Amino acid sequence: MNALGDELCGHCLLPLGPRTIWRRLSGEERAFCCYGCCIAFQVRNGQSEEWEAALMLIRLGVGGFLSMNIMLFSLLVYAGAFTGGDARVLPWIELLLWILATPAVAILGGPYLREAVIDGRQGRLTSSTLIAVGVGAAYAYSAVAVIEGSPHVYFDTATMVLMLFTLGRYLEAAGRAKAARSLEPLLAAESACATTLVDGSEIRRPVREVDTGMQVRVLPGERIVIDGVVVEGESHADEAVMTGESRPIAKAVGSSVIAGSINLDGPLLIRASGPGPSTRWAQICRSVRETLARRSPVQRVADRLVGAFVPLVLALGTLTALYWAHQLSFDRALLVGLSVLVVACPCAVGLAAPLATSIGIGRMARLGCLVRDPGALEVLARTDRLAFDKTGTLTSGSAQLIAIESAGAAPREALARAAGLERFSEHPLAGAITKAAASQGVEPVLTHDVRVTAGRGIRGRADGEIVAAGSAALMRELAWPLPSALASRAHAQERAGYSVVYVGWGRAVRAILSLDDAPDPDARATIEQLSRRGLRVMLLTGDLERPARRLAAAVGITDVQAGLSPEAKRAVLDQHRQRSEGVAMVGDGLNDGPVLAAADVGIAVGSATDLARETAALVLPPGGLWMLPFVIDMARRVRRTILGNLMWAFAYNFIALTLAAFGLLQPVLAAAVMAGSSLLVVANSLRLERLPDPVRASKAAPPSGSTPACGVDVPVRVGTAIAAE
Amino acid sequence: MAYYAVLFAAGFAGSFHCVGMCGGFACALGRDPRGHVASLLRQLIYNTGRLTTYCFLGALAGTLGQVICTPGGSTVSVLGGSLDAAQRILASIAGLVMIAVALQFFGLLRRAKHPSVSFGLDTFTRSLRGLLTAPGRAAPLAFGVFNGFLPCPLVYAFAAQAAGAANALQGMLVMASFGLGTFPAMVLMGSIGRLLAPAWRQRGVWLAGSLILLLGLITLARGVLPLSGHIAHGIAGGSPA
Repeated sequence: MNALGDELCGHCLLPLGPRTIWRRLSGEERAFCCYGCCIAFQVRNGQSEEWEAALMLIRLGVGGFLSMNIMLFSLLVYAGAFTGGDARVLPWIELLLWILATPAVAILGGPYLREAVIDGRQGRLTSSTLIAVGVGAAYAYSAVAVIEGSPHVYFDTATMVLMLFTLGRYLEAAGRAKAARSLEPLLAAESACATTLVDGSEIRRPVREVDTGMQVRVLPGERIVIDGVVVEGESHADEAVMTGESRPIAKAVGSSVIAGSINLDGPLLIRASGPGPSTRWAQICRSVRETLARRSPVQRVADRLVGAFVPLVLALGTLTALYWAHQLSFDRALLVGLSVLVVACPCAVGLAAPLATSIGIGRMARLGCLVRDPGALEVLARTDRLAFDKTGTLTSGSAQLIAIESAGAAPREALARAAGLERFSEHPLAGAITKAAASQGVEPVLTHDVRVTAGRGIRGRADGEIVAAGSAALMRELAWPLPSALASRAHAQERAGYSVVYVGWGRAVRAILSLDDAPDPDARATIEQLSRRGLRVMLLTGDLERPARRLAAAVGITDVQAGLSPEAKRAVLDQHRQRSEGVAMVGDGLNDGPVLAAADVGIAVGSATDLARETAALVLPPGGLWMLPFVIDMARRVRRTILGNLMWAFAYNFIALTLAAFGLLQPVLAAAVMAGSSLLVVANSLRLERLPDPVRASKAAPPSGSTPACGVDVPVRVGTAIAAE
Repeated sequence: MAYYAVLFAAGFAGSFHCVGMCGGFACALGRDPRGHVASLLRQLIYNTGRLTTYCFLGALAGTLGQVICTPGGSTVSVLGGSLDAAQRILASIAGLVMIAVALQFFGLLRRAKHPSVSFGLDTFTRSLRGLLTAPGRAAPLAFGVFNGFLPCPLVYAFAAQAAGAANALQGMLVMASFGLGTFPAMVLMGSIGRLLAPAWRQRGVWLAGSLILLLGLITLARGVLPLSGHIAHGIAGGSPA
């Protein structure tokens, strides 16, 4: 469909590696990263009862039939069924084995040979080369043996090795596809179709052709493919993939829906609020695709090692065979050489990193957390310092009322009057005031003739007199006197970094309200969990010293550097990078781009609307701060899994190679163990799927224990307000 | 020879159980439009594929038993006389597996839940359907081969018996006898294209259960009873050398 789509395997969605196979299936050109995926894809799509897909299974089945018969007849030969009087049958049995083996080797070995030839033309030696050379040698030797009437043929070895490798590759591919399942919803955006309603008739069309204002019908169980507003119907939506919110969200006429979420229980008619390809879902899809197609540094090293490994093994196999030929008969020596080739097949090494990385990326993507560079996971796993770039990242973005100080009036009355006015305003501070009034049980005073002065404040008329709330400038404009006690308090509060709202009525300023950014409700728990993971958490901010310290204290950060310019922040980061394994930086993505880019790993919470312009390697959804500990865990797990896989693969290859070179490992056994090693790598990587999803401490479960999460909320000191004079 | 006759009989009786699942496959393979002979051929090809897999599994199980019983790698026949400890343990396990399968046939043992780590087995089974309708002689053969690998308690029971034999050749013969036993019912089923009456199927299942139970008990006895080597010989006595 597009250039990007061609970079991932059609079956397991891993990046196409050096083993890429192209096949024309059901009239569509498809690319697979390996022969195993090619088989698995066709087996899976055999459900469609298509002759082409069945063909592959038939080939495998017939190949299996032939090789099993070869093995059974060979067994009879080994068991001595054709000795003594029956010995004259033996040449005919060998001929029969040859006749059976020829199609079996052609059917099962063909794909490996083709791969080996293609790679060979490009000057590369791969694991297919090893198999082709080894099996070819065993087959050729046996054929000559039959003609010469020699007593030993090894057709069974040749075919069984092929069988086991084919089986191993199929199982490997099946395991990989299992891992890819969590990525499917995110990669579906490009190929998704929408049912649009045009003049009362339904037309199915690709999502990329859906434009603003079109009406799209979404049935229960279907994925919502566009951003929009519900115009008909009632349902619940599962938005987990987009927001990480695991609870179903009720949707009714007028509710907005997000592309990528799933419509759970009722049909919906949705009016698209933007064109299909511009939804966040489609952007995420493109981004995930790009990420998967990229190789992480560890993977690149592993690939290079594999590339260097194969010629080495070929040489070793030949040398081994030559060496043993001095001491054993030629056929025994050949078998030892074959064992070496088979057992050294570095499939597991090539599989070690990409599978674990994709599972990690998929797991995070399901929570709406986007990894934009696979290498970032590896770096993040090593990182031991985490800097929060901006106070805004740790605050919820909404203000909260901290204190009321009044002169010549009760604090509650000031709040009631202010709330009466601010009900009409959409200013962020206004919301905090009305909310505080509601939570204190203060009834807003009924106010008329409300007028908003942009940037100054708001005024209206209540109980026959003018009431105003806003900045000092507004009060000056009204020429209302400000009591000196209040003025000095206001100065002090402003210096401390609070926002101050003046409230006046009866021709005088009567009170000041101090407001502050509310810490993110998840911040404290998140910081605590991060520290528990051994991370040194810092706050580097351009804000004033005092509000920064206040926020840091509220969320539990002790290491604070405030008043930093972006350049200064980068300098601080550089210092830390020299002294540590790595520094990750968490910012809001919109304003902190350059600083995030300067860290080893940049993590954006919420992000630019255009993901393509995002500079952070990791993007958490808006309000997704609480996922940070999970992200760290996942990155560490992925790294541990990759290292475990690599260690296993190399150790295995080394030990098995030694055994094989000393002639202690039968080729068939070697093939079985080799396939087993790839399976082990797959199984080990699949364990990442089992890491439990993170639980949001602040909402999902009520806080318990000695460190309640509500410690985040700074209590409003309304009751204890200092009444000046 | 009596031993293999019992296995054949168990296979024959057991195939009334098979017709539940594999019989469905056999019916689905359908009849060849070119006539009865072609249809029969199609069924025979399918069953040959199945039989090959059974033989292979038998040989594999036998080899496994052999490897376990003779760490030195030398070939020791079950018929060779004294049974060592490993062989006894193996025989006991094989016997227990067979008894468990028999009890399951009688409905006395709840069917074990299949583990979820199927590694693509589910999709594989589903996609086998594509083979049923594919034309040609190769498709039924391939289908038979795969069919033989599908999980089935009967196959488990006889594979256990084969492993207990602790010899590749004997293991193969065990499974071959069983596989041949399943031939008549399966071929008939596929050719007639109709399932047997449930009552008869139930009787077949009981008979198979009894035979498997008997075989299981003998195998177990070989493992646990002292100096029981000759008991096994009494039954297995006629096996070909």
